Amino acid sequence: MTAAAQTKAEFDGTKQRMDPVLVGLWISLVLVALIWVAPFVFMIFTSLKTNEAVMATGAFTPPPTYAWENYTEAWGRGRFDVTFFNSAIIAIIKVPLGLAISAMGAYALARMEIAWGKVILVVILFGTMIPFQVMLAPLFTLVNSFDLIDTYPGIILPYIAFGVPYQVFILHGFFRNVPKELSEAAMIDGASHFTIFRRIFLPVSLPVLAALFILDFVATWNEFAMALVLLQNQNMWTLPLGLMSFQGQFSNDYGQLNAAIVMTVLPATIVYLMFQRYFVSGLTSGAVKE
Amino acid sequence: MQIKRSMEDARFQGWVLLGPAILIYGVFAMYPLFDVVVMSFQKWNGLDPNRVFVGLDNYRFIFTSDPVFWVAFKNTVIWTIMCLIFPPLVGLLLALGLNQNLFGRGVLRATYYLPVIIASIAVATMWRWMYDPFFGLFSQLMTNMGFGMSIPDWLGDRNVALYSVFIAHLWHSVGFSMVLFLAGLQGVSQTLIEAARIDGAGRWGVFRYVTLPALTSTITIVLVLSVINSLKAFDIVYGLTGGGPAQSTQMLALWAFTQAMQIFDYGRGGAISVVLLLITVSIVVPYLRWTQRHEEAAR
Amino acid sequence: MTMNRTILSAAIGALLASCAGIGLASAQEITVWTLNFSNKQANEAMDKIATDFQAANPGATVTVVRRGTDDHKTALRVAAGSDKGPDIYFSWAGLGLGGEYVKAGLSAPLDKYYTEYKWSDRLVPAAASFADLYPGGKNGVPYTFKGEAVYYNKKAFEKAGIAEEPKTYDELLAAAEKLKAAGIPAFTFGGKVNWHVMRLMDVILETKCGAEKHDKLMKMELKWTDEACATESFAEMEKWAKNYILAPFMGIDQTQSFNLFIAGRAAMMLEGDWLVGTLTTNNANLDDYAIFPFPTGTNRLYGFAEYLYVSSKSQNPDLAAKFLEYFTSDAVQQETVGMFATTSPNKNVKYENLPAISQEWLEVFKTYTEVYMNGDQAFPLDVTTEYFRVINDVVAGNIPPAEASKQLQTFIDGRS
Repeated sequence: MTAAAQTKAEFDGTKQRMDPVLVGLWISLVLVALIWVAPFVFMIFTSLKTNEAVMATGAFTPPPTYAWENYTEAWGRGRFDVTFFNSAIIAIIKVPLGLAISAMGAYALARMEIAWGKVILVVILFGTMIPFQVMLAPLFTLVNSFDLIDTYPGIILPYIAFGVPYQVFILHGFFRNVPKELSEAAMIDGASHFTIFRRIFLPVSLPVLAALFILDFVATWNEFAMALVLLQNQNMWTLPLGLMSFQGQFSNDYGQLNAAIVMTVLPATIVYLMFQRYFVSGLTSGAVKE
Repeated sequence: MQIKRSMEDARFQGWVLLGPAILIYGVFAMYPLFDVVVMSFQKWNGLDPNRVFVGLDNYRFIFTSDPVFWVAFKNTVIWTIMCLIFPPLVGLLLALGLNQNLFGRGVLRATYYLPVIIASIAVATMWRWMYDPFFGLFSQLMTNMGFGMSIPDWLGDRNVALYSVFIAHLWHSVGFSMVLFLAGLQGVSQTLIEAARIDGAGRWGVFRYVTLPALTSTITIVLVLSVINSLKAFDIVYGLTGGGPAQSTQMLALWAFTQAMQIFDYGRGGAISVVLLLITVSIVVPYLRWTQRHEEAAR
Repeated sequence: MTMNRTILSAAIGALLASCAGIGLASAQEITVWTLNFSNKQANEAMDKIATDFQAANPGATVTVVRRGTDDHKTALRVAAGSDKGPDIYFSWAGLGLGGEYVKAGLSAPLDKYYTEYKWSDRLVPAAASFADLYPGGKNGVPYTFKGEAVYYNKKAFEKAGIAEEPKTYDELLAAAEKLKAAGIPAFTFGGKVNWHVMRLMDVILETKCGAEKHDKLMKMELKWTDEACATESFAEMEKWAKNYILAPFMGIDQTQSFNLFIAGRAAMMLEGDWLVGTLTTNNANLDDYAIFPFPTGTNRLYGFAEYLYVSSKSQNPDLAAKFLEYFTSDAVQQETVGMFATTSPNKNVKYENLPAISQEWLEVFKTYTEVYMNGDQAFPLDVTTEYFRVINDVVAGNIPPAEASKQLQTFIDGRS
């Protein structure tokens, strides 16, 4: 790390003066964190209770008996084997692909003279403001006209389309701050923009890309409304659609419902925990001004 | 010669790099949006093969005869203001706190961010159960503390419902602002902080004169994203109250969706969406230009 | 290299697109779109019927797709614009819900199958009558025929000193008073799902307005502001909500309400015959409960029908009809008796070993020959939304009853 960061570390922690303000701060942060985590605890406990136990016991009472069958039944009822597979395929394809497309576009807009560049950028930023829930019907008609309903491309392409705006927004800001000297040197050597992009910008922006990767993975994993409309065939359903099985007309099996939610949330949590160290440093580079 | 070739090349390369983004975005995002605007001038129920042109009828209806539109409008305004204040503020406080070198701060940071990962429908389902006036978490806590008689109807009392939903939203989204602020805080110049300390500035002084100014660009990003996300508030209201009770927690985005996808009046849904879009643009664009001018002046 | 990556992604895209071609429906495949019922027996029974049908018809495949209520409606609407829809779909038979699809031409008339398979001979007349609701022929086949009545907790009634089931509306009010005196809320409702509270409004309307006026009001042929009984009904709703409904109820849904009912927190619920199945699934003791029809003073039963329609876009209408024939057959209906609903739309089914409460339902169905439908099935969708809103406002005490009639009528008048 830089010298500045080192000084900071010295300044904040290692003076070990047991600053009472810091202690107080720590205590309150921990308390609030416990409250923050409470719904999760609640969810996990409920997922392990039978429905009678849910009614009979308090929210934070640990389950009297561990109803593991909630998980197995939820897995079957929600057809998790199928939905899990679909969600995984869609996320694994869409997230890197979308990120690549956005990065290329952001680079072009930030570092190259594109005709109407400013206008294009504004139009793309406009996309961050669209509440897509109201566009579901036209979107369906459009995808249907390409005969792509119930297909992976049919849902991946709209996902990419709605991911482009905010990814370009963040990457554009970041790319603009990359020192011009870096690319100028390469250009004088006759490198094409492709090479500059690949050899210089991508490596430099790895942390931002990692951060966006997590954000996008989670968003794609959890997406519901578009999937509902674009995936009619239940063999193509994604995980959130599978959760629908627990929201039937009079459904009230809370134990299974919570088990299903826990299983849905787990993969996204794992991805997050794996990549989280890139997160803070990654977004740093996007927002920093010297 | 070499320069000329590379210029042509550059343009070609530019389009190759930008092309896929523009193409996919244009086809799958812009075109349906355009379709929605067109639909706002038509009457269509999703089943008829024909879409009848009705001019400004939909707009006239929603502004004058729709009993819910202005309620949704008011709620959207209140909601947006709350989203502009609380999640960023709490996020900033958490970020400041977790920026200190505290024991286990990595775990704490992860804890606060965790809710962001959960799908909105899951959040809504969890909180709906927690708000159950009989068996839910809050009601049980209040009963245990002896306040059993005054348990409000968290989601059923129109004076309380919107705020109950907001608290669930706060829980869900604070982690995101926190992370952005944490990132921004990494960029605060340590030399300046040291200089300020040496000059005798206390904690508050350092914050006000060094940290805050350095955070302006982060604050901009957080506020812009907060406004945009708040205007799109949807999943959480849908899951918790469905817009009720008696449409009192209805919001513009949700009402547009209800008209289009539940009542199947796509024209009216389109009109409400266009209004929402115009509101968003009219808030965000001037703000962005103001900050841009601000930044350019500061350079 | 970036170029290569682009080309690679394009290639993958093309490959995936071609994969989409695989998995087209084979000539002997039909899909059935239905709801995900909480009454598990209904879901399991349908699956078994599909499996058995496939066994009896080698080469045929039946896929059952389930969704939540609102999602099912959305999916149907969205599929209407494409040929990716189902072959058979579930829908409520009333004008407000199922009627829209028929009017839009999404239902294939089944007259020739009715003749070929002689369905009219085996179906209960009241249940079959819904097929004739729309011009153009017979649409759909009854899936279930449902009645709604008041379920009550016997012990609660005992405790309050109510000896007999109320036979008139005033007796019901008196019973509610007795329950209140004994510290038991009379009813529980889930206000969040508007149609639950609406049921009370429907039965009160029937009581106060009588059969004919009720129908005309729902058809919007009479004005809600002109008919005194309409405002009276809203006033009754206000009274019930203020005094006799377990509060708070506006924020809970029907399942939370049900949980309260079986926890003994309220004495009565206005529910349908399917609740017997739900009670069973939740291990409630059926002997603790009994029913009586809401005492409206008219000779009509509160109820509705759910139908299975054949989509006009189906590629295999004959196979679909064959499946419906199998579904409504004596053998299958006898085998699945009590699983979809208390009674079968097939009149040849024999009922044995029924729990007492189901016997009561049979009696009810035998007694009543005419039906009045739930409000949200009678009104068109936008009016239903407004109807829900004013009912909720009255019940929450936000507007006076007269205002409710006025707002509803204003909305109706303002429709183009």
